Amino acid sequence: MADIVLTGNTSGAITVAAPAVAGTNTITLPAETGTIVTSATAAADVPKPTALSTASGSAPSYSARAWVNFNGSGAVGIRASGNVSSITDNATGKFQVNFTTAMPDADYAVQCTAPSFSDTNDAVCAKVRGSSTGTGIPNVQTVSAVQVVYGNNQSPATFYDPAYYYVSIFR
Amino acid sequence: MNKRIVYTQDDGSVAIVVPAVSVELALKDVPTGAEYHIVEDSEIPTDRTFRDAWIWE
Repeated sequence: MADIVLTGNTSGAITVAAPAVAGTNTITLPAETGTIVTSATAAADVPKPTALSTASGSAPSYSARAWVNFNGSGAVGIRASGNVSSITDNATGKFQVNFTTAMPDADYAVQCTAPSFSDTNDAVCAKVRGSSTGTGIPNVQTVSAVQVVYGNNQSPATFYDPAYYYVSIFR
Repeated sequence: MNKRIVYTQDDGSVAIVVPAVSVELALKDVPTGAEYHIVEDSEIPTDRTFRDAWIWE
């Protein structure tokens, strides 16, 4: 294995080491002038992608900042999740999703879906934002958590426990 | 994940925290000052017919 060592004028050195495997590897520098990466602390200098690799067109892409798929009936449990530290079972049809890493602010968009079943055709999964006084409907949307409900639009609302909750957060 | 964190909410009803990764991480999701208990998931009833009447004893 051969190394290329660039020794600094004052101290230190940069070593380019070839891997100990057969085959040829090439480092190709861009035609543009400027610095590629100066150090591990210069991550901010690395260009940020504006679209996911699967996106078409020129509109920017935004991926979910948190998501969870959980069971809301019987033995409540999380099937899979991302950036979710836990869910809190507050009551029938009322759950709170807690984030591992906080959102930058509370102005994120919440998507909540759940399959309906025959006796709750008028029920929906939703994030209700507004006064919770006297309604029994949770009203939490903070940088660290959001509450969702599954119920109907009657007054007072009736809540249900669907077997599947799907919640995702975009910001 | 077979542990759950149980605490009593302001209205006297019970909240159950279901950890996604670990109980240690989920403890941050218990309201500050709330008395909590870490239990096995098998201790949580699966019949939720009277879920809103659950209390911690």
